[in-house]
Amino acid sequence: MQAASAGHDVDPVTLALVQNRLDHIARQMGWVMVRTSRSPIFNQSHDFSCFITDRDGTLVSQADGIPIHTGGGGFAIRAVLKSFAGNIVEGDVFLLNDPYVAGGNHLPDWVIARPVFAGGALTAFACNRAHQSDIGGGAAGTYNPEATEIFHEGIRLPVLKLIEHGVTRNDLWQLLLLNTRCPELLDGDLRAMLGSTQIGAEQIADLVEELIEDFGGDAAAKCFAAILDHGERRLRTALAALPHGSWQAEESYDTDCFVPADIRIRVAVTLDADGATVDFTGTDPQIRGFKNSSLANTHSAVYAAFAAFFATDIPRNEGTFRAIRIIAPEGSLVNARAPAPLTMCTVFPAHEIMHVCWWALGQADPARNIAGWGKNAFPVSSGTRAGGTTWVLYHWGGGSGAGAVAGRDGFNQMGPMITLGGLVIPNAETYEQLYPVRVHRQEFRCDAAGPGKWRGGTGIEYEAEIDLEAVYSFRGEGVGRATGKGVEHGGDGAGGTLAVHGRDGSVLSPPQYALLRLGASRLVMQSPGGGGFGDPLDRDPDLVGRDVRDGVVSQAAAVAIYAVQFAADGSIDLVATEHLRRARRDAG
Amino acid sequence: MTEAGTDFRIGVDIGGTFTDLVLADSVGTVTVFKVASDPQDPAAGVMRAVEAAAAANGKPTSDLLAGCSQFVHGSTIATNTLLERKGARVGCLVTSGFRDSLEIRRGLRPDPWDHRTPYQPVLVPRYLRHPVRGRIDPRGHEETALSADDVAAAAACFMREGVQSVAICLFNSYLNDTHECAAAAQLRDALPELHISVSSTVAPIMGEYERSSTTVLNAYVGPRSLTYLRDLDRRLGILGLPNRMLLIQNNSGAVSVDEIASRPVALLLSGPAAGVGAMRYYSRALGSDHLISMEIGGTSCDVMLMSHGAIAQTDRLEVDGYDVVSPSIDIQTIGAGGGTIAGVDSAGLLFVGPQGAGARPGPACYGLGGTAPTVTDAQVVLGRLAPATYAAGAVAIDATLAHAAVRDRVAAPLGLDTEAAAIGIIRLLEQKLLHAVQRISIERGHDPRRFTLIAGGGAGALHAANVARALGCRRVYVPRLAGAFCALGMLNSDVRHDFLRVHFGELDRPDQVAIARNFERLRDAAMATLAREGFRPDSVTLLHAVDLRYVGQQWDVTVALPAGPIDPAAVRRAFEAEHERLFGHIQPAGLIEMTKLRLAGIGHLPPLAAAAPARATTEAPQTENRRVWVDARRSWADVRVYRGGELAPGHGFSGPAIVEEQTTTVLVGAGDCLTVDAAGNFVIDLARED
Repeated sequence: MQAASAGHDVDPVTLALVQNRLDHIARQMGWVMVRTSRSPIFNQSHDFSCFITDRDGTLVSQADGIPIHTGGGGFAIRAVLKSFAGNIVEGDVFLLNDPYVAGGNHLPDWVIARPVFAGGALTAFACNRAHQSDIGGGAAGTYNPEATEIFHEGIRLPVLKLIEHGVTRNDLWQLLLLNTRCPELLDGDLRAMLGSTQIGAEQIADLVEELIEDFGGDAAAKCFAAILDHGERRLRTALAALPHGSWQAEESYDTDCFVPADIRIRVAVTLDADGATVDFTGTDPQIRGFKNSSLANTHSAVYAAFAAFFATDIPRNEGTFRAIRIIAPEGSLVNARAPAPLTMCTVFPAHEIMHVCWWALGQADPARNIAGWGKNAFPVSSGTRAGGTTWVLYHWGGGSGAGAVAGRDGFNQMGPMITLGGLVIPNAETYEQLYPVRVHRQEFRCDAAGPGKWRGGTGIEYEAEIDLEAVYSFRGEGVGRATGKGVEHGGDGAGGTLAVHGRDGSVLSPPQYALLRLGASRLVMQSPGGGGFGDPLDRDPDLVGRDVRDGVVSQAAAVAIYAVQFAADGSIDLVATEHLRRARRDAG
Repeated sequence: MTEAGTDFRIGVDIGGTFTDLVLADSVGTVTVFKVASDPQDPAAGVMRAVEAAAAANGKPTSDLLAGCSQFVHGSTIATNTLLERKGARVGCLVTSGFRDSLEIRRGLRPDPWDHRTPYQPVLVPRYLRHPVRGRIDPRGHEETALSADDVAAAAACFMREGVQSVAICLFNSYLNDTHECAAAAQLRDALPELHISVSSTVAPIMGEYERSSTTVLNAYVGPRSLTYLRDLDRRLGILGLPNRMLLIQNNSGAVSVDEIASRPVALLLSGPAAGVGAMRYYSRALGSDHLISMEIGGTSCDVMLMSHGAIAQTDRLEVDGYDVVSPSIDIQTIGAGGGTIAGVDSAGLLFVGPQGAGARPGPACYGLGGTAPTVTDAQVVLGRLAPATYAAGAVAIDATLAHAAVRDRVAAPLGLDTEAAAIGIIRLLEQKLLHAVQRISIERGHDPRRFTLIAGGGAGALHAANVARALGCRRVYVPRLAGAFCALGMLNSDVRHDFLRVHFGELDRPDQVAIARNFERLRDAAMATLAREGFRPDSVTLLHAVDLRYVGQQWDVTVALPAGPIDPAAVRRAFEAEHERLFGHIQPAGLIEMTKLRLAGIGHLPPLAAAAPARATTEAPQTENRRVWVDARRSWADVRVYRGGELAPGHGFSGPAIVEEQTTTVLVGAGDCLTVDAAGNFVIDLARED
């Protein structure tokens, strides 16, 4: 057993108390944000994260937040420290979003960073990163699939001092409100972010003062260092259980958002005595469309992938991620150069980056491998009501199937992978009250799940009708080829399909990425299935029987793929099944 | 001495380990009986507890029951039916196109990071979720007629498959229940034996997933729960109980077996919800209606909040991974109890929970084979629990086992001595308790410093003073019967039925006629139900409320209404006050819409008489001194230990001290003042910090 306080003379009980309390403070900042924000994006979708860094901008706690924000906040705070070196005083509050100069991940995610002073010195930052409803740019709602430069994606903010020694800069505030289509929302949400960091900063200051009183001047710094060390030891311990070696994996796009293209994301994960190296050398150059990634987002995607691969109780602070070295060549699509557009990055290529990390690690530890989750295929519809207000409808009811892991089938439909399903699918009844939509179908697909010992999620048959003219923002990454890749001899989930049926009987197959204005239409889609885990011939025949009975696997597929034999009464003939499976295995 | 009353009330609460029976007489004398629970035959445990109470009173069981005016049961039968997966074989009728809402579950998982854990199995497999054609549109109008052929096909399928219980969950039925009612009638004709649950009756709310999940759970737990409850009710009647047995529902109100028959899902919180009655009871004794209760048992800590005499309510519950919508008490539960396990992780960090040692093997010091150190073991190491036998010999504490577990599993890996490790376990646990209380208060916009903390459960009073101090509270209240908190609460509960109806409309342009008509329907239902429960109109209170939100929001704020037409200006003021408290802001002149009308019908039962034990005639007795770790401020001290039975109203002393009571142990911090109040309970005024 290792010594508890290696290197930092903090007693283990204090360490546990401080770590637990910092997590509680981060969660409490999240409650305040949910309670006081205006936009549904925060108080319903929880698309934000609250985090705490030490005085050097190293992320110490992020107990509240969505997976694709994991561990990325440190970039922002280090940019604050760099931009305002020697000019940070009590009462200052900083705002930033730019991924190229200010440590942002993408433009819609704004970061409020509030320095915490205790015992007369800067000791920490209380921070909130949150996706704004609208920040100007070429399309309402922050996502512009036609962007070819970051300038088409909204206002760029370097590190700004929004509050200077306790005084809010009104000129700056007005500038921000002038650059959004929803000034009331932005105004309210910024205030909520300020409030949540205020509460966090007060509580961190209390904690630090107590530590100074009990243990002396640099107790807080020592505790933060010990917390980071503990995280690092946890991940190193987990990595040490894996063999040393180097493993490669690859993912791809089949469009650059404008024309079909074969674009690759390549990784080599090397495990050795120094921990893990995640090397994206060989990944294709940045592309024309908005599916490039910032460095901060690439780091978050890698961290989220590692965190999801290992035990869930490993802390997710930047100490933990010191065990991972990331090489992301500049100018590649995982570390784009300005002015490449990149607003989509928290979804694509975050999804691809997580996949390749899983599949490289999965070669080192096959039992923990994770099959691919189907990529999103559904569009976003928007329009204007009679009264002039705007509605924006995400067709989450057309969400994809998840990949399987050892011990469970893929979830048949789940919120996006980059939230690990944290984003909840709305009720169709609720949507019918909120939007001019009629949902006709949201049911499991048949034979779309990636086969396996554990099969992938089925994906969904989704049909929705909109009576009015509306703008459709298509982001059909999951339309066409299979995206939920199987692992460990599991099969791929089926690809998605998408058609728009007009009132006149016309059927449109829209491009994967586009903004189209369409009349009253019925959207008919099949969302992608998730990948399977393990050889389908090893699947428990009873589970195959259940799936057949449930109509999510056809009897023909049960015979052809799972080699399950049925008796005349429809029950499973176990003897014949075993016989057939043996023959199939022998045939290789 | 007071004369023992003859009008008895009995409350019975079945826990995992013990069945608690609380017996109260008409002058407020309350006695607790604990017998071992019988998981195989819970009714047998109940009957044994009744027999024990009768024997202690020197009466035959039939005499005790014949003198019992109220027999209230907090039944875990519905919960256990679910936990043990012993429910009925359920079939589901769903609208064509929405066969899978139940299984998609909106993708809700409590911890997204924990993606390797599968969902709990779906309670109705897909092949028993039978689609039927017919559609209600979003305004509640019929768009396509219900297909009687499809219902007939479903009935044939259910019969073939041996389905015992059916959940009818049709799309948009919360707006118009005619299709569901027609389908139910057709199924009843075809299969009269079937237990039928209709979503527009069980949970008439918007949202096909939550409504279906609730209705399916109702169908699942219903048949077995009702069989048990009817059987127990009948047995008690045969033995002489003059009135029908009452049950506690999720909303903390009492209800008869007959009235719960259509929605047994309302029993899922039956045990813990009874704590509300205890809070109301102690609220009177304390003269305060701002209370937070912290009830700590072997496996978990339940926290509830009462503000201005009202208990926080919620509609959403999650039970063993299944989602339920049912008007309920808002209880924050965390895995922090006496049996919660402590340890050191793979990188040398101390943790406490959330795993527990359960009833078996329990804490290491029980000597039942457990080797993992628990919170109780740490308490033993710190001298707060003495090695002895408890609960009439059911539990014996062996201090050497406690020391060994803490030493081997926590102290040695951390490089600490055993006592320092035990201190660490307690401090970390108490920080978690603090956070749980902060969550139910601060997150809901309440300042915990304005509240008195009530310690319930066997272990609550060991932590209450320290947690209350950290919260900034002034006062802690420890009922002498803390260990039977919920069973006691059952004796102080009113009958309560909650009804609601979806009603959309702008607050500023209320359709008074439609609102009045809807409330009238709810009122008729409430009065009819309460009349069946034996209440005359003059012993009934009706509480009206409306759910509101700003247009565009997806969750509602409930605001109480006076009876009569809606006064939009007054309702707006009340809504804004509540919105400000909950969310920290309002939208001046924002458009407000109504979403639901609610009505609670309360049938008043006589409150439990206040206890009035004899006042002390002597100085507080002192029994022994023990070396105890008090808290982080005082550390180890020689502490006076009192026997609770020797403390009477008027007694008082300052801490540090320990009081050993029949069902709980009280830790009084240094400088804290404990007094025994007129009701015989312990009031601890906390030492002011600084």
